[in-house]
Formats: sequence, C-alpha cells, structure tokens
Amino acid sequence: MNKYTVINPHSEFKVINTHIHNIDGMAKVTGRATYTFDVKLPNMLYGKILRSPHAHAKILKIDYSRAMELPGVIGVVTGKEDTLGIKQGIWRRYQDLCDEQVLPVDKVRYIGEPVAAVAAITEEIAEKALDYIDVDYEVLPGVFEPLDAIKKEAPEIHEGFERNINVTRHIEWGDVEEAFEEAEYIREDWFKCGGQAHMCMETRAAVSSYTPDGKLTIYHSNQSPYYMQGLMAGVLGMREGDIRVISTYVGGGFGGKFELDGAIFCSAVLSKKLFRPVKIVFTREEDFIATKRRTPMFYYVRTGVKKDGTFCAREAKVFTNGGAYTGMGATALYLTGFFHSFPYRWKGYRYDGYRVYTNTLPSTSMRGFGAPQAMFCSEQQIEWIAADLGLDPIDMRRKNSHHEGYEVPGQATIASCGIDQCYDEIRKWIKDKGKLPANRAIGISACGFMSGGIFNWFDTPYSFSSAVVTINQDGTVELFVGAQEIGQGSNTTLAIICAEALGVRVEDIKVHSGDTDYCPPDLGAWGSRQTLMAGNAVKMAAEDAKKQLLEFAYAQSGYNIVYDMDIKDRWVHAIARPERGYDFGELVKKAIRGKDGQKIVGRGYYTPHRKGMISPAYSYMLQGVEVEVDEETGKIKLVDSMTAHDCGQPINHLGLIGQLEGAFSMAAGYGYLEYMPYEDGKLMNPNLVDYKMIRATEMPPANIAEIDTYEPEGPYGAKEAGEGLTNPTAAAIGNALFHRFGIQMKENPIRPEMILNALKEKKEKEQGKKGKK
Amino acid sequence: MNFKCPVCKKEWNSSLQVARHMFGTGDKPHKAWVDEQGKTQGFTFIDLMIEQATTPGNKSYVMLAEVIEKAQDKL
Ligand SMILES: [Zn+2]
Repeated sequence: MNKYTVINPHSEFKVINTHIHNIDGMAKVTGRATYTFDVKLPNMLYGKILRSPHAHAKILKIDYSRAMELPGVIGVVTGKEDTLGIKQGIWRRYQDLCDEQVLPVDKVRYIGEPVAAVAAITEEIAEKALDYIDVDYEVLPGVFEPLDAIKKEAPEIHEGFERNINVTRHIEWGDVEEAFEEAEYIREDWFKCGGQAHMCMETRAAVSSYTPDGKLTIYHSNQSPYYMQGLMAGVLGMREGDIRVISTYVGGGFGGKFELDGAIFCSAVLSKKLFRPVKIVFTREEDFIATKRRTPMFYYVRTGVKKDGTFCAREAKVFTNGGAYTGMGATALYLTGFFHSFPYRWKGYRYDGYRVYTNTLPSTSMRGFGAPQAMFCSEQQIEWIAADLGLDPIDMRRKNSHHEGYEVPGQATIASCGIDQCYDEIRKWIKDKGKLPANRAIGISACGFMSGGIFNWFDTPYSFSSAVVTINQDGTVELFVGAQEIGQGSNTTLAIICAEALGVRVEDIKVHSGDTDYCPPDLGAWGSRQTLMAGNAVKMAAEDAKKQLLEFAYAQSGYNIVYDMDIKDRWVHAIARPERGYDFGELVKKAIRGKDGQKIVGRGYYTPHRKGMISPAYSYMLQGVEVEVDEETGKIKLVDSMTAHDCGQPINHLGLIGQLEGAFSMAAGYGYLEYMPYEDGKLMNPNLVDYKMIRATEMPPANIAEIDTYEPEGPYGAKEAGEGLTNPTAAAIGNALFHRFGIQMKENPIRPEMILNALKEKKEKEQGKKGKK
Repeated sequence: MNFKCPVCKKEWNSSLQVARHMFGTGDKPHKAWVDEQGKTQGFTFIDLMIEQATTPGNKSYVMLAEVIEKAQDKL
C-alpha cells in the first residue's frame, strides 16, 4: 500500500491542493481525446521514411523512379531535391549548434537517419515503396564512443569540429585548488552512465496539410507547439504566422519531443510538394532508432572532504556521447555539471563538460535533463566517502546541504528549501523498518532540481510564458495558454491556479492549449517549467480579469476601497463580512454591460529576470529504496520505497502523487533495467520485449512524504514536482547494493551480470588476501 | 589588476578566468589566437582542451593563463 503524508500543509485555499481529477480525464478514458494518431483529413495520404542502414556514409545518389511506378504511390521527397537544406536546431541564438538537416542532403551520420520519404494512398503501399528506392552510399568509417571520437585518428563527423568536440561547458567557483588543499581526504572515481529511451506511449506522429494559399496546418505530438511553429518556419522558409501547429492531446514527451522530428518535417515537405494532407506515425522501432535518447556520459569525479565530513572541493570532468547531432544535448551538458554540485555547499567547485559527436543516435534532454547521470555518480561517491571515513552518510549529507537563503556562487539563489525535513522523514522511514532480512538493504540518495530554465537559446522576443483569461456572460471562463499538456496534468494545474485566483471553481474553467493559432506563445513543457512559469502567467491573467470585475463590484457596493472585496467560490463579497455578497455570474453580466458589451479579458505573462543562471526556484528531495537481491542470479527487486519531497505549495494533490510515482518508476528503470546496447552504431534491442521497462508488477509501494514549503517566486508558493525525482533513484539502488555487499556500482543500468561480476571480484580479492596471510 | 581577453577584450580580474572564457567560447577567433601562440610553444587549442579533459587538475588552463598574462602588454 502506498502511504502519503503531508508535512506543514497550508490551508487558506479554496481550490488549490483539493481533490481534483485531471480535467481531460473523461475525454481520455472514454477514448474521445483526439491524438495526432486519430486525425484523419479528407484526401489524406500516408507517409513512410526510408532510413540509413549505415552509421556514417555519403549519399551519392537517390533513385526513386521504381517506387513511383508502384500503384498508389503519389510522391517521394529527398533532402537534395525537396528541401532548402537548412541546418536546424533549437539554438537560433547560436547558429553553430544548429547542425541537423532532418532529411540530409549529402551525408548520413547514424543508423536510422531519414534519407527519403514516400507518400501513398495507404500506409502499406508507402512502406512497400521504400524497398524500391535505390540509394548509392559511399560508406565512411564510423566512431561510436566519445573517448574514441576525440582521438587524433578518428573520422570527422561534422566538418570543422576538431576531434569531434561538439560543445564544451565550464562551471567554477571558489579557489578549487586551495579548497582541495584544505581537504583531509580525497577520493576519485570514474563512472559510466547509460542512455535511456523516452518511451512515450504515443510514438512520434504528425499530419501536415499545406494548402495552395501558402498556409500549413500541422497536427503534431510535441512538447512545445510554439517551438515547432518557429522551427518549421525556419526550415521551410515560411513566416511563423503562416504555420499553425495543433497539439491538443499528446501521449507523453519526457524531453524527447521538443525538437523537429522526421514525422513533422517529412510530412510537411511531402504535403508542400503534393498539396495533400500527409500523415506519418512512427512505429515503436522507429521511435527507438530514429528519435533521440537520454545522454550517455562518462564521469570523472574527484571530491575532497575533511575527516569530520565537511565538504571542501569537487572537480568533475564529463564526456557525453552526443551522437550525431546537438539537439538539446548542449543544455544537458551544462545542467549535469550544475546539478552535480547539488544539493550541497562546496567551497570550491569545478566542472568541465565535453560533448562529443559520435555516429550513434543523437542524445538529448530527457526527464531530469542531465541530473540523473550526475546524481548516480555523486550520491554513490558520497556514500562511499562516508564509509571510508566511518561517518553516518545521512548526517554527512545533512551537514553540507543547501538551506534557505544559500547562494550557489554565481549560479543560483535558494529561496526555499525543505531538505532538512526530508532527512527527518527518511530517517523515520528507515527506523520504522527495523531489522531487514539478510538479502535486503536500504539505499538513499538526495537531490535538488530546477523549476524551469532561464534559457533563451530559441531567441524568442515573446515572454517565456503567457496566458489570456476571458470570462463569458454565464460565468464560465476561457483560459488560453501556450503551455503544453503532455499527460503530466499541466492543464489541470493551470485551471486550478486560474480558479483560485479568480474565485471560481475548476469546472468553470475551459483550458485552451496546444494550438498556435489561438494560444499565446510559451516555450513549452520542458525543464519543469509549467507550474512555476505558466502558473505565474495564469495567476497574473486571472488577477487582471478579477481586478476588472471588482471595479464594477466596488462601484455597485458603495465601498470606498477596492480591496475590501473579494471573490471566492463564485461568491462576490466584502472581505470583512463574507455573508454579504452575491453571485459571480451576476457580477460578470453587469461588468460586461458596463463595458459596452465587451468580454472581460485578463492578460498575464512571465519571464524570470535576474534570477541566476539556471532557474528561479529549486525543489528538494530524498529517495529511499529497499532492495532485495538474489545472489544466485544477480537479479534485484525493489521491495519498498520512500520519497520525501519539497515542491513548495502543492497545487494539485492527485497530480503531484502521479508525477512523483511516474518519476520514480522511470528513475528505477534507468537505475537497473533500461539498457541500450549498441554494436557498431546499431541499437540491439529496439522493441518493447527486449528493452526492459519497469512494469506495474515490479513497482514497489511508493510512499511519499510531502514537505510543503513556500517558494516566493512560484504561484502561491509552488515549484517543481515530478522531474527532479527522476534523478536520485539509480544512486539509491547502487547505495543499497553497497550496504548489502560492499560492492561499488560504477555503471548503470545496474544489470544482474554486473552484480555477479562484482560479487565474484570481491570474493576473489578476499580469498587473495586470505591466501597472502 | 584586470586581464583582457586578447580577442574580444572582455575583462576579468584573473587570467585563469580569461583562459576559461577562451575555452568556453571556443569560437573561431578565440581558437585561432590560441593556435597562433602555440605555433612557437608547441600546442594547439584542441590539444590543450583534450589535456584539460583527460587529466585531473587544471594544467592547460594555467598554461593558457600564463600566455594570456604575457600578452597583456600588447593589447
Ligand atoms: Zn574573448
């Protein structure tokens, strides 16, 4: 049974953190929600993409004349003939990093890269036609691991990027050398962190419809319709306003769906060429081999501490396997270095990150955005240091932790921090467990995460988030947001914030999102932006509308100060005498009449200014796992779990639990199951049978202690929940194994054979020692 | 005293910061400047970077910082 407890609840709210189900739940469970997969347009064609079988090759010639002879085939497009050949990327401010042609013109750089696309009257015919396209390649030598790719003799993947170094990132504060000199104990380790597939339930999909008047409408499964609109305008040479992106329902994103993918690009290019709507839906295998993945990383970590456990200095060097293109990988490279310092105070900290191109699937952002890798290394090494020094690992962590008011030098200000209480709750959980059976152990890990990134690599002139609230004469409310619902429940969260601010109920709010023609721009659903950033915009828009309404209430009531009045639960009243009042609908009608029949419209926007390098706010958490190990097979089982979590003021109780449980399951998969083995650049398990995700039956109880703090920068004090918790679990599993057997897991996912090998190695060492005696 | 970046003339109070900035920026003009200095001293921008990346400590940055210090008079 899952247990959920709340520590320090705030209770002044009417709507916030009450028991509200997802507002789109009914549409989803009754099958009426229209995902891109469900879209059918008159005269629609079906597209399929031909993919490269080579990891690195020049495209010499593409001959599709035989494919065109196949009955039912309407058209074929190639990079050279049908695109502008523009290199694209989210880095509109840094053109060097825009390095990907979604249909390459002259060279392919990974197995599965699109080469050509076909449109036919059925999906089957389109698929068949791929066999009739002849491509001449000149195969080039490939390189698949970053430490090989930086060697002098390695093949050059992109012209002008010496030693295949794509991006470097550096973070430093304090005098690192001096801080190391103060240390009485120094430990160094190398780690290897694996990739992970995003595994959205809805695979990448798009339906594009280009009409002769030069307008393009695209239904697309993504995390940021505004990005898609802007990026597509860039690659097609169109104006943004001539492109409409519709993403009303999206079946998951997890960081993998805010870049252009083959589905949106190829369907649009085909539709532009053929003047007919074209639909492309990726198969699960395509989703594995031809979209992006979590960034695999090699981590060197050197940490210096005093004998009493005081942290002095840390140095980290990271090589990431960037794959063939930059994508969001450059940000993951920065954030992994930033969060590797978290949630601790270091006198000196230095990070050097190197992102290296290889001939593999591009790696990019994924839930946690570089932090799961960082925490896997950091939180295990901290545990080992505590053991080396004979200190209690929780006490040692606690003593060095962030606290309210702490400034990460030059990087961030911590305005709210509940990690201290997280330690209390985890301690309690461990104590209550008592003595464990011999084959079980507990591991814990700490973490902190951002509430939306202060990054404008997209170079948008718009606010990062914006919202418009309009109120109808019957008291119903239309909320227009650019924030993207991808299944995480953001529309519900924003409806709750709107209802609370306006003084109405959630059922009064209709949220309009995921349509660039009607919704104001927003950078989208990534980096845990939505609750804080879009939430602030929505709160501001609702308060703007409410102020306009209260002007009429004030005029009518005869009170002489406007803030004597308020609206709560559809009741317009004097604050001092709440029984004196009248219905919200009545007020709205009067206000509309008073405005010469104009609707009430409230506007809100939010862009964080002067809030540090990374994010306006940080969440904190501790994850505990109880792990059972089968020494015969090396298999591990999660028996129980405990999350202690500080997300500021929770907005949606049910959504919060869902997000935390979801993050935990994804994190557990990253820790011990989800493995992406490559051979010569080819992914060996691109299907749901061989790629092991955690299943419901493998999920342990997910106990949660919610520590409610108040974040001054967040709407009603709210901050991040649900992405940060993807970060600590892999290390917690490793730490449990360390406590059970004394083995140190320096690679993830922690697979059974690795445990068996470590046990064997340990046994041999012990026997060797005995032999010497 | 302040140290200037020999390429874009931005200033920091430590030459190590300027070295870090040069590696961090890593664009063509910054790279070219380092490569030019290395001609007589036997290093290239990318050599220094890989050295920095693959060995502990801060040797490459310190080395470049010294080169930057020496170049200050000519800026
Ligand atoms: Zn410069």
